[in-house]
Amino acid sequence: MSGLFTTVREVFRYQGREGQVAWMGHRAAALGTVLFFMIHIIDTSFVYFWPEGYQHAIALYRSPLFAVGEMVLIPAVIYHAINGTRIWLMDWKPGLWKYQRQITLATFALTVLLCAPVMIIMGGHFIEGLGLFGGQ
Amino acid sequence: MKVTLRIRRFNPEHDARPYWAEYIIKDVAPTDRVLDLLHHVKWYIDGTLALRRSCAHGICGSDAMRINNLNQLACKALVKDLVKGDHGTIQVEPILGLRVIKDLIVDMEPFFEHYRSVMPFFVNDNPPPDGEFLQTPEQRARFDDTTKCILCAACTTSCPSFWANGTYVGPAAIVQAHRFIFDSRDTAAQERLAVLSQEDGVWRCRTIFNCTTACPRDIEVTKAIAEVKNAINRGGVD
Repeated sequence: MSGLFTTVREVFRYQGREGQVAWMGHRAAALGTVLFFMIHIIDTSFVYFWPEGYQHAIALYRSPLFAVGEMVLIPAVIYHAINGTRIWLMDWKPGLWKYQRQITLATFALTVLLCAPVMIIMGGHFIEGLGLFGGQ
Repeated sequence: MKVTLRIRRFNPEHDARPYWAEYIIKDVAPTDRVLDLLHHVKWYIDGTLALRRSCAHGICGSDAMRINNLNQLACKALVKDLVKGDHGTIQVEPILGLRVIKDLIVDMEPFFEHYRSVMPFFVNDNPPPDGEFLQTPEQRARFDDTTKCILCAACTTSCPSFWANGTYVGPAAIVQAHRFIFDSRDTAAQERLAVLSQEDGVWRCRTIFNCTTACPRDIEVTKAIAEVKNAINRGGVD
């Protein structure tokens, strides 16, 4: 357990470069996605075990907090997939290590590019739901 | 120039936990090395400071430490690369993932245990043809980079996978294994690949590249690890 604490503390102190940042993002994205799946599996099980609770869970999903959570989930899944592909590529073609900085930065850029349309659509719905800027 | 040297100190005989000690050193030349500053502290300010060093010229690998949060050899880190202007602070800590014995000295035994586990020696029981084993320049170039390792542990202790789990053999041991696995004269590649394909072998590498950045000999460490991964996947080096 001390190893886990050391790692969590030191990744924010040690001056690793883009590879370390990419790894931290990869882990955070994975943990966030697993958390979402766990919540989703539990609330779906309510259909059988506790139908009233399921209706309550669905109502909760429409709250602003969960809307923000869903907006975080999409980039997490996309980033995890693209970065996983990068890691596979670097392991498969070791000669690419000289370009690892550029490839890692391209991973970040591609994530932003792919997330942008989704964020615009989901963000629009979110603002509409809050009733801001003339929304309903 | 003036440098404030912040050293993470710990003496298990007296201290409950590590603490930061600060030493102000005047008349520092930009071309001085961090090792020179540590010597100054030990020789003229506080003789109780404990550190390892031997050759002091980047060959023996004794003085790997975390300098401004990055693993480096104290004998190769120049003040001018760490301090801008007439006054600055340099922070020195022991390397991570190994037990601190005192101040900047860590217990290297777990590191050398991993090193020994990959059979870091030449294996060939066949009699040498015509007096010696011959090798082409291309065959030699295949593992040339990994012959440069000085076992300073800067790579292994820069690896978050190693911080999290000390049973991981670590980049240095894999580099040492690579040196023999890809040597055309050696006959124990399969044994080494069997060791490295285990749970605590190469698959704990997450391709973070901290090891490549930390290596004071500029070894392409992550590339070497990936080559070993590929050799395991292919079932051999050919």
